[in-house]
Amino acid sequence: MLSFVDIIKRAEEGVKVSEREFDIKWVYNNVKELIKEYDLKYNPEELIPLSEDFIDDVFEAGLNLALKTGIYVVEYGSVIKFSEEEIKEGIKTAPARIMVGEGADSRELYARKTEDQRPPFIMGGQAGAPLPDDLHFIMALSYMQEPIIDGINHGGVAVVNGLEVRTRSPLEALAAIKELINLREAARIAGRPGIHLLAAESGVTAIGDLAAINHEYGLRKTDAHLVPVLNEMKTDWDRLIKAIVFKVRGGINCALVDPVIGGYFGGPVGVAVGFVASFLLSRIVYHADYYIIHPIHHKWVSTSVPEGMWVLATVGQAVSKHTNFILFGDVWTSNGAGSQEIFWEITANTIVNTVTGSHPLGVSATNGKYPHASGLETRFMGEVAHVATRLNRKNANEIALIFTKKYHPYKTQNPDIGKPIYDLYDVKTMTPRDWWLEKYKLAIKEVAEYGLKIV
Amino acid sequence: MTQALLKENPECRNLYDSIVKGNIEEASLYAKNLVNEYPPLDIIQECMSPAMKYVGDLFERLEIFLPEVLASADAFEAAMKYIGPKLEAQKIATPTKGKVVIGTIQGDIHDLGKNIVALMLKAHGFEVYDLGRDVPVYKFVEKAEEVNADIIAVSALLSTSLPFIKDLVRLLDEKGLRSKRLLMVGGGAVTREWATAIGADGYGENAAEAVKVAIELMQRSKVKGE
Repeated sequence: MLSFVDIIKRAEEGVKVSEREFDIKWVYNNVKELIKEYDLKYNPEELIPLSEDFIDDVFEAGLNLALKTGIYVVEYGSVIKFSEEEIKEGIKTAPARIMVGEGADSRELYARKTEDQRPPFIMGGQAGAPLPDDLHFIMALSYMQEPIIDGINHGGVAVVNGLEVRTRSPLEALAAIKELINLREAARIAGRPGIHLLAAESGVTAIGDLAAINHEYGLRKTDAHLVPVLNEMKTDWDRLIKAIVFKVRGGINCALVDPVIGGYFGGPVGVAVGFVASFLLSRIVYHADYYIIHPIHHKWVSTSVPEGMWVLATVGQAVSKHTNFILFGDVWTSNGAGSQEIFWEITANTIVNTVTGSHPLGVSATNGKYPHASGLETRFMGEVAHVATRLNRKNANEIALIFTKKYHPYKTQNPDIGKPIYDLYDVKTMTPRDWWLEKYKLAIKEVAEYGLKIV
Repeated sequence: MTQALLKENPECRNLYDSIVKGNIEEASLYAKNLVNEYPPLDIIQECMSPAMKYVGDLFERLEIFLPEVLASADAFEAAMKYIGPKLEAQKIATPTKGKVVIGTIQGDIHDLGKNIVALMLKAHGFEVYDLGRDVPVYKFVEKAEEVNADIIAVSALLSTSLPFIKDLVRLLDEKGLRSKRLLMVGGGAVTREWATAIGADGYGENAAEAVKVAIELMQRSKVKGE
């Protein structure tokens, strides 16, 4: 595979174009042409496409998009292009399984396939949420103590000792260090000192990320960090520094792709094609080891809206069928922990992800806006994911549609944002309060009515 | 569009269509033809603005996507190159719902959401000055003063960018400009409660709400002004 030096050299020597030109001519026009060429269509009546031909076409269109467009490097103002052989080499060399975490807490993370009956890897936490230091720690405890959770991806520290963290400031480094100390400490208290972390979310630039690399109280070689592909099909020096430094030190790179439905890829079909291309490119540019599918609805943000789940299902199937990439599908809900609706969103979103080649990652309640999340709804996500392995795509589609109708569109537009962990849990004993537990039990009954019996 | 103008001259409909389609050449051509026969203000109000409003509605329903809105905005601007000088010559102010200086705040490179809001504001008749992303706080103030903006609209996806928005509020206060400029905030990291806490005049959960709030703010400020 191409070395990082090769990548930088290509960026230095790449074709110079303006960002606007890249967005429209290189990304959007190419996506439009490919959609036409392959006659790809979005069907709002289904959450999970069943046609194998369609899935194959989406993958092929994505491969062609990666070839035709390449990736834009913001600071250079240039485009890096790759040959078909280089992209295929990226596919061929991608790890189909990796051991993550340490000791008794290590787990095998593997590339799931469509209708895979193996237990999925449950990545828990309120991913992406900015949290005050104390809340971050207590919430982390609530996730760590859930045995069903295999790895943690839980927000960032946004306030340290009462000071708000600013991008590129020294506090960004301190916040990332504090985040990792919180997670390691919570892991030890829960008796899971080696649990896999997907972390260093407090620092958006490379500053925080690099500061957090430390075996004792930071990111270890068996942990991962996020290296996003910027919207759309772009990267920059900060992302490249993160990818290069952690990889060279033996760590695991997780490529996050989060295009906007309605943005430069267009609608759901274009976004699905764009996802495939972005994953293939991130494999080469970031030497990515695993990947997150995170479609963002232009209006509702959450992944649990029908267009979002359709993209998750399409991309999951297309990429898992044609590569050995290890995929996570995000579970981001509009409603918050403490509401009944959050369980409906989790049910639909998790079923779709699990049956179509992804491991579930979440629950980022309220789309990470409010710290209204806890271990309990993530336990539920894990449980649904495990029982969903018994479903085929057709059944999964039917059940997911039923649950989607319970919350969408009304409760997407008017969500119950729920409550913070102090109201959800007795934090002295770290146990969910009775009323919150009752809602969870009701949710278990509701899914059991559709044959998903959680024991 | 008023029926009279449409009936009288199909080029008004053609101009409307060319903006909807984002066709710069056609929009320029029809604007050039119409501007010699009709008052420039009528052309804007009856042929051009309704087209942008329609484009905004299509995007809201995901029937078209951001690049198409961008193309329509470009076609609108192309037509304005012919209409604008006529307005100036007749000493008529360009009709606008308000002037907005918009950008993604310092420390934040995520601008897709901001781009959507900027285009939707344009589509609904606002005059928009887009400063781009990672914009230093003082630049918002400088530009707002330069163009006499009604609204400063700031976006932040990252929580680590939020302190810079507070700096902006402080700077506006220090310069005594808070009463002159309305402040709108939005983006992934911003909540309604936070917006209220820092004293923002408006908050948009998404682009559609941002437009609604901007229109309401302008109506309120006009009533106040009267």
